[in-house]
Amino acid sequence: MEAYFIHLIILIGIYLILAMSLQLSIGYTGLMNFGHIAFYSIGAYVSALFTLNDIPFVVAFISAGIIAGLFGLLLSIPTNKLKGDYLALATIAFTFVVYVVSLNWVSLTRGPLGLPGIPKPSILGLSFSSNIMFLILVAIVAIVVYFFIRRIIDSPFGKVLEATRDNELATRVLGKNTFKIKSVSLVISAFLAGIAGSLYAHYITYIDPSSFSMMQIAPILCMVIIGGLASLKGTIIATIILVLLPEPLRFIGFSSSIVGPMRQIIYALILLVILLYKPKGFFGKVELE
Amino acid sequence: MSLSIILQLLVNGLVAGAIYSLVSSGFSLIYSVNKFVHFAHGAVIAFSAYVLYYLFSTLGISFWFAVVLSLIFSALLGYATNELIYKQLRKRKSSPVILLVSGLGFLIFLESLILIFFGADVKVINLIKVTKGLEFMGAIITPLQIVIILVSIALLIFLFIFMKKFKLGKAMRAVSDNKEVAEIVGISSEKIYSWSFIIGSAIAGIAAVLIGLEQNLEPTMGTNLMIKGMTASIIGGIGSVPGAILGSFLLGILENFGIWFLPSGYKDAIVFTLLFIFLLFRPQGLLGIKRRAEK
Amino acid sequence: MLKIKNLTKNFGGVKAVKSCDFDIKENTITALIGPNGSGKSTIFNLISGVLVPDSGKIIFDGVDISCFSPENISNVGISRLFQKSQLFDNLTVRENLLLSLDNEDTKFWKNIFGRNKINKKKEDLVSEMLTSIEMNYFASRLGRELSFGQKRLVEIARTILNPHKFLILDEPVAGVNPKLRRKISDILIDLKKKGETILIVEHDMNFIFKLADDVIVLDEGAVIARGSPEKIKESKKVLEAYLGN
Repeated sequence: MEAYFIHLIILIGIYLILAMSLQLSIGYTGLMNFGHIAFYSIGAYVSALFTLNDIPFVVAFISAGIIAGLFGLLLSIPTNKLKGDYLALATIAFTFVVYVVSLNWVSLTRGPLGLPGIPKPSILGLSFSSNIMFLILVAIVAIVVYFFIRRIIDSPFGKVLEATRDNELATRVLGKNTFKIKSVSLVISAFLAGIAGSLYAHYITYIDPSSFSMMQIAPILCMVIIGGLASLKGTIIATIILVLLPEPLRFIGFSSSIVGPMRQIIYALILLVILLYKPKGFFGKVELE
Repeated sequence: MSLSIILQLLVNGLVAGAIYSLVSSGFSLIYSVNKFVHFAHGAVIAFSAYVLYYLFSTLGISFWFAVVLSLIFSALLGYATNELIYKQLRKRKSSPVILLVSGLGFLIFLESLILIFFGADVKVINLIKVTKGLEFMGAIITPLQIVIILVSIALLIFLFIFMKKFKLGKAMRAVSDNKEVAEIVGISSEKIYSWSFIIGSAIAGIAAVLIGLEQNLEPTMGTNLMIKGMTASIIGGIGSVPGAILGSFLLGILENFGIWFLPSGYKDAIVFTLLFIFLLFRPQGLLGIKRRAEK
Repeated sequence: MLKIKNLTKNFGGVKAVKSCDFDIKENTITALIGPNGSGKSTIFNLISGVLVPDSGKIIFDGVDISCFSPENISNVGISRLFQKSQLFDNLTVRENLLLSLDNEDTKFWKNIFGRNKINKKKEDLVSEMLTSIEMNYFASRLGRELSFGQKRLVEIARTILNPHKFLILDEPVAGVNPKLRRKISDILIDLKKKGETILIVEHDMNFIFKLADDVIVLDEGAVIARGSPEKIKESKKVLEAYLGN
């Protein structure tokens, strides 16, 4: 029982990082970045491949973030001029492509066979193989991420992000380079998704392309929207509730191949209901534009 | 590259293009009238294909009857999506992004249903036993593939006539060009929206039948088709049905010639590259439809 | 200070601006008037970098700014007010004003390490401005909570706080009640006394005549008259342009 709770809190931790970083991008900067899963995937694969080749965890972890961030930078260039739904399309397509590449670049990723046996983290000789230790690791990272994002949001840079979201032209006319601003936001968001990916990979110790399919964006989108766009507090509450919500399904006795899709159905329905009845979410400032 | 290989790639490209045109024409029709991305379109196709599988391969209903039923189903599913989701969102003046995300949510919902009812393994509709392809100057094409190309051409012609001559088609063009003016002359835009979903999804149903026969069924086929169909639409000019068809054949041909240079699994990556190139350099597509894609 | 040379801009066959030529001297208030569709907004968009000219040049302080992006235009010293409200709806009035003071807020690392604090100097500048536009009470209200007139005031304040050498104001008092109109007029007269260089588009003739040293009249994308407000008032040509021949 205790192990189950630890597992849930670890999941909450990882999702918190994913949701808060997506909130930075969608809620605070107004970037319809639905490519978040792609960065999550890139981070997971980088970290897994590095550690499977005897590169120390800390290096792998940071690299996961950096390489994901680099892809974020690459993505920000062509998407700079794209408006709301076109940007959404382009970033969705990006997720799709990362999925296809991870499925087909068999020599690197072993394709559909995935990467098993990912080592548990070990930092400076301290092993994090037990779940309690891993929980502590995730908790520390999540808390640091929270304070980092909080810092950004509360600083003048955070105000410029919000100004860019509210009216990009007006922001430019005040002399600000919004391309740079948007890029920074996307890179940070991608970096954080990348390190979340690393944590995921080292927790589950097995990843394959299907862990990062398009569908996986559903719970994260729910967390970002339900909590309320541009509300970090709302995101945290929503994440905790949404990770825990489908758990009772396990106990009803469905087979494991059904539980997965059932969870997605719950998230998809919640997403639809929220968009229909409370698109600003509970603590949100704005709607998806 | 010998002539027969070029021809084969061309044939493959045309078949793929025909398939994409079945997907993208319905999608573009809906987009041109409703002015937002109906992301669940791919799932309507996928779900209808599975319905056909269920009716024909599982229940054993006669093939043509099953086809008719699944076409009705797809049209109804499209209609229901609009009625239950998009119409309600439009009442609240939701932005195009919200409409897109709701479509995405519904697609995930439908794909998850498929996973639950049919499982993740690949399904095959066994109508036609292994057929021998017809040979044509060194290139091989199966009868089914010829049917697919013919159907897509027939569809093209039908859509052209429909939009030009039929009252409903003309009304759709009116709403697409200028909703306010159309309403002034007495056209109910809500009714036209509903009809665009019915017709667009019926076309999706046709796509489902043909794709279901030609390729294997898998739960994520909806997303795959959606990305490709949308890319084709954007290449041709989103909101333009002829553009969608043009874009589809271009996409099909470029994809197939592209895999001459890349391993075949990367076919899909070609799609994305093309999508990006167009979004970047020519977001209005080849036929240059007015909608501003840029800020 | 600003030279427009032979400026042309087409929109799909419609010549919005046709070989337009004029100069703006420093320390003057110039009004740009003309009937609807004469190209005033297009010229503003060309100057502020929102549009790129098809041909011709815009020279500011000796620099060719014809193809500059909006942010570069702002950074060489041109500050623009839009006709349509461009306030940041979800930021407070104070935040709206603070944003215009400088661009230190775009330096990510500087902000993260806390080296860009909203220091007292900045707060004072904003407070001073809030006092002069009598909006102190609304300092913490969000942009979207303001009335139309209040939004206009804040935007004008924001445009002024944006470090500049040249102000271009697109219809600062359009749709604003008379009391507010006087208030804005006072603010601009104050700027005039300080020797600022301003280019205004307005339709309210009284407002212009009180304020402007010089009036440029546009019609169908080209300059048809120029002179002091009195001269323009008497000009038959201008009357014809407005009434249509």
